[in-house]
Amino acid sequence: MRSRPRSMPARPPLPPLLAVVLGVLSGALLVALVGAPISRSDGPDNARAASSVEVTHVPPLLTAPGETVELAYDAYCLPAETDDDLPCHATGSVHARTGGQGAFIEIPLRRDRFAPESRLVAILPERIARSPLGFEYYAVIADPATGATTTLPSGGPSSPQRSIPLGKPIEVELGHHSFGATRRADARVAWAHWGDGPFDAGLEQGRNLPPIGGASFDVASEGTVVVLDEANRRALRFEPGQSRPSAIPLDISGTIADLALAPERLYVLETVGGRGHEGALRAFTASGRPLSLARLPERAYRVRIGPDRAPVLLSQGSSQWVRAELPRTGSVARLRGGRAGRPLPDGREVVVLRTGDEIRVALLSPGGTARTWRIRSATSVAEVQLAEPLGSRLVLVARLYTDTRDEFLVLVLGPTGVVERFTVPAREWAETAPLSRFRLAGSSLYQLGSMPEGLFVDRYDLEVK
Amino acid sequence: MRFTTTFVATLAAVSCLGFVGAASGYHTRFVADNCNYAAPTPSSHITRAGSTTVALRARWEGYQWAGGCWNDNDVDDSPGDPPGTAGTGGEGGDCSGFTFKVWREPEDTSSAAFHQWGRLRFVHGPYTALSFKNGVGAPNATKAKSALITMDALASDGHIGLVYVTNADGSDQIIEAKGEAYGTNVWTRTYRGSSSYSGVQRLGWSS
Repeated sequence: MRSRPRSMPARPPLPPLLAVVLGVLSGALLVALVGAPISRSDGPDNARAASSVEVTHVPPLLTAPGETVELAYDAYCLPAETDDDLPCHATGSVHARTGGQGAFIEIPLRRDRFAPESRLVAILPERIARSPLGFEYYAVIADPATGATTTLPSGGPSSPQRSIPLGKPIEVELGHHSFGATRRADARVAWAHWGDGPFDAGLEQGRNLPPIGGASFDVASEGTVVVLDEANRRALRFEPGQSRPSAIPLDISGTIADLALAPERLYVLETVGGRGHEGALRAFTASGRPLSLARLPERAYRVRIGPDRAPVLLSQGSSQWVRAELPRTGSVARLRGGRAGRPLPDGREVVVLRTGDEIRVALLSPGGTARTWRIRSATSVAEVQLAEPLGSRLVLVARLYTDTRDEFLVLVLGPTGVVERFTVPAREWAETAPLSRFRLAGSSLYQLGSMPEGLFVDRYDLEVK
Repeated sequence: MRFTTTFVATLAAVSCLGFVGAASGYHTRFVADNCNYAAPTPSSHITRAGSTTVALRARWEGYQWAGGCWNDNDVDDSPGDPPGTAGTGGEGGDCSGFTFKVWREPEDTSSAAFHQWGRLRFVHGPYTALSFKNGVGAPNATKAKSALITMDALASDGHIGLVYVTNADGSDQIIEAKGEAYGTNVWTRTYRGSSSYSGVQRLGWSS
């Protein structure tokens, strides 16, 4: 215990101390009373959200020969009147049929005792699961306690999930991946420092926010690269042979978004919204003049150009590719024409399923299955970034990873297997839209990358014989 | 006379500081008007499904750096908080506070007990994204990324998000408190393959 210095008075004079205390208290009270109105909150509406049952499901978009098809759903009950996470006793059925015609048959979902308590499953009868035409299905799941019901996909029988048989796929065994042997790019076609200058790309601002910037990009057929500089609310257009970009101002939110180019059009898929409008699809002219704004009833995370130069979106909840149509009244789009694969401008469709460390791909012609591949890896596979035809071949980019390393594997697949194979470094210092790191234009693959100094787009020329 | 002078000077100084602070820094009364500091409710067990419902109720409720209190009206009641200020009193958690509450952890880092926190209980917990990434604390541990399932997490040095479901293309739907401009919601991300993210798990799930 320390003793008090002798020179210090045993007790400070009371009046000055009392004055300071009263002054502090009075000042704080005055600030509280007078300052209160500057708060922007008008008082929150503490009303509860309505009861709901949330359902997740990974559709078996491509089934292997002889495979047993078990459809698994996870259901989470959100009753309006409780704070607690009470057990969810959701029940429901799958409605399935072979091919794309005929009546759906109802198959009750049952609990899986060996899975998490949220899991409901149904095993499809073999005559449906092994049909050479594939099968279609949807599920209706309810929480009996509240009456809340969810149909997945939301279109039900008018827009069911579709699963396609792989038939006799072209088998590819990748083996163990050796990290570090990456290919050098053939050219760096775009570069911008981080910043808000005329030739810079911006990083989103926020405490605790990881670096996010240059959220997406696309490449026009003549090689013009357009990078979405969402933080500066614009796009940067890099013409071939020009070292500096031109800016296209865009009326966008400034958060992570995806980008797709069509002739004379530029589409931006916003991923941030509120309940009932989970993001938006914006259309602009090539110079950035707004053409339309369609709010989306379900979240989508990819926009690409489909048939008739119209945008198609990948729905997060259903894993279906859909068209966004504006209703005659209101601004919330209707999502229509759900498909298992991405509809391509030429009428073909690419279906991709990553299951475990296996990738299944089907390139479908308008008349049916054209060609399928089944790719197995001894190294963990994360997301498939790109799967697009190049003539009669298919270019596929997937991320391989361990707990400490990752690279992108590029495969050019042909009728007998792998035609060309190389890896490129991930180089993703800044976050982008999730599946926007690669584009195929002509016979070149383009990669959007970043480092602490700025972002870049590299070009890799593919072998074409 | 001396008492009066001191009182007035102090009153003026505190008032000026208060008004200057208020004028230059936006604040909301969400926390002051709605949140509480009630003791958590101990629980004998937790399930991944239960934590998923806790997480889903936070959707659309906003983001607050160093925050940890939200209601369930599906609206961010304090939109546009300055993102670099911790004390603005807004609705929502930040990424690590959200994870702490969804994983129903105790504030004592040496305990792996299960604590139910009400939505309106203001609590952030003792962990940052980086400490979660490193498996700091008795309830937490690192986990191979390829083995992560629903309600496990992916954490970098500055962010953490919870796995909701894996998409057919191999990306993940992540439920996360992302930032002021984003709020809290479920987004598709590619954290799993990224070498800047590590796998983390809450220990002790009963199912």
